[in-house]
Amino acid sequence: MNESEFYEEFEVFSRKRDGLPLEHRFSLTAPNKEMAYLLAKENFFRREPIKELWVVKRKDIRMMNQKERESFKLLDNKAYRETRGYTDLPKKWKEFKKEPQIEEA
Amino acid sequence: MRTIPFHQLTSDEKYEHFMERIENNEKMEAEDWMPDEYRKALIRLISMHGISEIMGALPEKEWVPKAPTLYRKLAIMAKVQDEMGHGQLLLRVVEDLIKPFGKTREHLLQDLFTKRLKFHNVFHMPAPSWGDAAIIAWLVDGAAILSQTMMLNTSYGPYGRALKRICQEESFHAKHGESLTLALASGTGKQKDMLQAALDRWWESLLTFFGPKSKQETGHSNVDISLKYKLRTKTNEQLRQEFLTKYVPKIELLGLTIPDENLHFDKSKNEWCYTEPDWEKFKMIVSGNGPESDARIDLRKNSYQNSQWVRDALKTYRENRSELIG
Repeated sequence: MNESEFYEEFEVFSRKRDGLPLEHRFSLTAPNKEMAYLLAKENFFRREPIKELWVVKRKDIRMMNQKERESFKLLDNKAYRETRGYTDLPKKWKEFKKEPQIEEA
Repeated sequence: MRTIPFHQLTSDEKYEHFMERIENNEKMEAEDWMPDEYRKALIRLISMHGISEIMGALPEKEWVPKAPTLYRKLAIMAKVQDEMGHGQLLLRVVEDLIKPFGKTREHLLQDLFTKRLKFHNVFHMPAPSWGDAAIIAWLVDGAAILSQTMMLNTSYGPYGRALKRICQEESFHAKHGESLTLALASGTGKQKDMLQAALDRWWESLLTFFGPKSKQETGHSNVDISLKYKLRTKTNEQLRQEFLTKYVPKIELLGLTIPDENLHFDKSKNEWCYTEPDWEKFKMIVSGNGPESDARIDLRKNSYQNSQWVRDALKTYRENRSELIG
């Protein structure tokens, strides 16, 4: 087993406080999960308290490549999916208030 | 909005696209396409920084068993541990960059042992007294903080994230250094002399810490490439001037004498003037021929060899119980 097989890449995630999402901390190399966990504690949490700590093998993560990252930028205007696509509503309400619609008998 | 998908670009177009991203202050990630010049500049800069963190812990480590109080011992131990941790972060960043060249951390360490991988001039120097521990922690760290803070906005994302963490911890180092210095400066005559002697020993190294002004002094400079790709935003001389502005008044306030008769602030030029340090000596030191170079490299080499059994044990464990570790 050579060195590049011995060390595996891990990504480290932690939750600082209750109610916060897990956040990516950094990455490290270790020969197994337990060592990765120990090294993560030593390397990243010598001071601050944490609520949660995860180590994940990088090769188990489906990451984006640059082509995918770039094509994400090409997405069309998605205003129809967001509140900013509906900014004309207050104006419409105002019109209703000005001239109350008369229901047909 | 761009209409050509990235994978269809030619390499010239990729370079243009890369420079456009640099101009827009976007951050590059490890897997992004990057010109070789950029990758090599990053490897040179970050491997030197990373290995300097590790080698920089060694002169201070000598003072752990000899620290005058328990509080100081705990603080200097914490600092040594932080520096080693910074080295770990930075070498991890380098590992991802050297991967396309088929290289690993093992190669970086071998390059250190054979003096191909250089580290900061200050860490080749001896630290014979507690006064040196104070000057290192106050001024060497102070200088390092200035150059690290300058690079927080670097165009390479992983380096920027490592620096953010490093700078947070360095703010403790700065306070620690100030505390050691103020204690000696307000102590007995002997303690004040110890501090002055340490400053005399360290002044030239501090002045050369930021590197030469321009190509003339050492024959080459990588600063231009670093500026072009926004790895850094200031020149060596700008950083040195900032250092002098920040620390000269404080050093003088403590009643210490800076060992340079020519040091003064020239108001008409709006800059500090100082005796030009010996750049030939600087070049010799960073090439691994300083007073402590061999001893410190040996220390690192021995430590690496003495811990080989741990790596061997983990390797055996993994080969035999891989099904359990997963």
